[in-house]
Order: sequence, then structure tokens, then C-alpha cells
Amino acid sequence: MAKVKSKIEVNEKLDEELKAIFNGDIPWVTIVWDDPVNLMTYVTYVLMELFGYSKERAHELMMKVHTEGKAVVSTGSREEMEHDVARLHEYGLWATLQRGDQVL
Amino acid sequence: MTEIQHGFFRHGDNSYLANFTEAEREVLLNLAEQIIELLAERVDHHNEDPLAAMVGITVHDTPPEDEVLLRLLPNAYADQVDASEFRRYTESTLRQKKQAHAMAMRMHVKTAVDGIVELDHDSANAWLGAMNDVRLALGVRLKVEENTHQELELLAPDDPMRGVYAVYSWLGWLQESLIDALMDESE
Repeated sequence: MAKVKSKIEVNEKLDEELKAIFNGDIPWVTIVWDDPVNLMTYVTYVLMELFGYSKERAHELMMKVHTEGKAVVSTGSREEMEHDVARLHEYGLWATLQRGDQVL
Repeated sequence: MTEIQHGFFRHGDNSYLANFTEAEREVLLNLAEQIIELLAERVDHHNEDPLAAMVGITVHDTPPEDEVLLRLLPNAYADQVDASEFRRYTESTLRQKKQAHAMAMRMHVKTAVDGIVELDHDSANAWLGAMNDVRLALGVRLKVEENTHQELELLAPDDPMRGVYAVYSWLGWLQESLIDALMDESE
């Protein structure tokens, strides 16, 4: 039989966790990975087209991918991130999604 | 027209032009055909549920074995179970979208008048996707890595990969010219 705890620690973090569980809104992220073939200008352009980012923002994310090997390019629900990954794959960017709290 | 080659350039609002030689058009057509063929559905009549297939759900949930196809249709999750599930519901649609890009490129090249291809914003995006897929495919075959460009520049004249690399480089240049023309607009 499982032991029950007579006390719980209530804090802001627990509040947020519980809310996230019931709303199903644990944030997920879309990650773009560095690829030796894709042109830097192309990656910038695709991020502008698909996400409506400014040239500066898209360029910044592209540079992060280029220098650090990867970058989070969007955040949202799991469904939204699956949609983003599918669109990035359509344009040949190397993208994956994962839970936002598991990002390395 | 005997202008200096400059790839795509902007021509007024929502119009991008390029002038291709006959040889270039043949190369583009050939590449578009290859991609369309490569992305054709995996046929497996034994297990296919016709109703599921109709709405784009396939029984295929394993990543493609071919290295080129795997690069064009990559896993969406690091986790294999999640990746398989996602693939089952989306791979078929992804193949069709990529094929549609290559088909748009083929159509524009085929209907070019005097070698001139004219694109609007949407068809330019289709071309970018198609050119990128070709470059990804050739890149896998050429084993392109971050620092291999110098080696590839120095391939021997009789190396069959030399021609492949020439096409790969040319497409990169063409793709860049179209992006420059498109970005010019968005400034």
C-alpha cells in the first residue's frame, strides 16, 4: 500500500504545474538544428516566411543555429509545435519538437 | 537575350525573373523529375488500409532506410515511439507537399518562353523548397559537411562527383539569387 503524505507543500510552482496539467498547456518547443547544406540566407528567409519574424529576429536565430548547433525557434502547445515542425520539414530545415522543460 | 547570367532578379511587384539556357532548363527538369520520383509513396499493398490511406495515414512508421529520403523526411522527435507515431500521420502529406514544389518547378521550366521563367511570391517559395530538396539530396551523395567545400572544389576532372558538385553549387547560387530578390521586397 502506498504511503500517504499528510502534508503538501503549496507554492507558486505547484500551482503552475497543476494548471498546466489540467489545461494541457505544458509548453513545447520547436528546435532547428544546424545543417551543412542549407544556406544561411535560406534559413533566415524560411523563419521570416513561416513565423512572420522580422529580418533581424530571423537572422539572430539563424546565427544561433549556425554557431551553437541548434536554436529554439518557436514555443507553444504540442499540436502547434507539430504543425511548425511539419512546415519546417516541408522547406527542408532540420527540425524536431520536444517538451520545453526538457531542453538541454 | 544574351545578358550576363545573374540568376533570379526582381521585376516589379510580385514578379521574379530568370533567363535559363536550354542546358540549364534540361538540368532543372531532370532534377525535378528525380525528386518527384524519389518522393513517390512507399507501396505496400499487404497492410494498407484504403480508408486510412485516403486521409493520409499510412502503416509506415519506420524512418526511410535510404539516406537521402531520411534527410528529406526526417524524424520529428528524438524519441522513436513519438517519431513513429508522427510519421504515420504526416509522412504522406510531407511527400506530397515536396512533390508539389518540384512539380511547380517542372511546370515553370516546361512553359518558359524564350527560356524566361517568371515567378510570383508563392511559386518562388515552391522553387526555393524544390531547389533546397535537390541540394539536400545531392549534399547527402556528395557527403557535404561543414568543412568539405574546399575538398569538393578540388575534385579531379575525371571524378564523376565533380559534375554533381557543379550542379549543387550552381543551384545554391540560383537559390541565393532568388532569396536576394525576395528579401529586397521585404525590406
